Amino acid sequence: MPPITRWFVRSALLWFVLALATGVLLAGGVSADIPGTAWTLPYPTYLHLLTVGWLTNLIFGVAFWMFPRYTAEHPRGSDMLGWLAYVGLNAGLLLRLIGEPIQLSGEAKGVLLLLSAGLQLLGAWAFVLNTWPRVKVK
Amino acid sequence: MGALLLGTKAAPLPAWVFRLFALHAEALLIGWMVQLTMGVAWWILPKYPRLPERGPAAPIWAAWLLLNVGVLLAGVGRSIGAPEATVIAGRLAELLAAVAFAGAAWPRVKAFGR
Repeated sequence: MPPITRWFVRSALLWFVLALATGVLLAGGVSADIPGTAWTLPYPTYLHLLTVGWLTNLIFGVAFWMFPRYTAEHPRGSDMLGWLAYVGLNAGLLLRLIGEPIQLSGEAKGVLLLLSAGLQLLGAWAFVLNTWPRVKVK
Repeated sequence: MGALLLGTKAAPLPAWVFRLFALHAEALLIGWMVQLTMGVAWWILPKYPRLPERGPAAPIWAAWLLLNVGVLLAGVGRSIGAPEATVIAGRLAELLAAVAFAGAAWPRVKAFGR
């Protein structure tokens, strides 16, 4: 298992626990106050912690590890694109986790969410660009 | 459940069908997608060079049990309008499942043969 896959999978495990912790907070409805703050946690944040934080990180990590080799010299393609995918996805999700409750409280004008969207898009493109040539016969 | 819910958009089905939405969402997201990824991850993560090669079985069985009990409590609970404590208990069971799974899987996120 290459180092980047370990980062993806360990991050996935952390997001998984955090996602289901937010699920407890949201047991009463589609939004919940975050204890000790003036912010509200919305249902979409919970969904994205599960689908992006857990599922997508795990899929990216396992795909980077197990897809057919690119070349003998660079079996997993570009490490730089792999790390860009990791940072984009996870930094973007972290900004969403912070930015969405702040946006709901009316304290910010969405800059964090725009940055979050851009980073996640960048991460997804980096993953696709690196993975596409590896979708082939072994 | 998904078929019934979609059917309500095209045919006059009883109003109680709409109440299945909570169970439908919990079962699809946690019961299906999350559970499948947990099972496959447990299967393919690098094994230990000693027995038991995937580590102790107790935490992973606990995770399986807690996750499924959690889906039933939270999904069915919300769909039948059970007290909020039922849904909270279900979500807590799911959280404990995640903690048990993450604790058991974490040491197996490693290079092969170590």
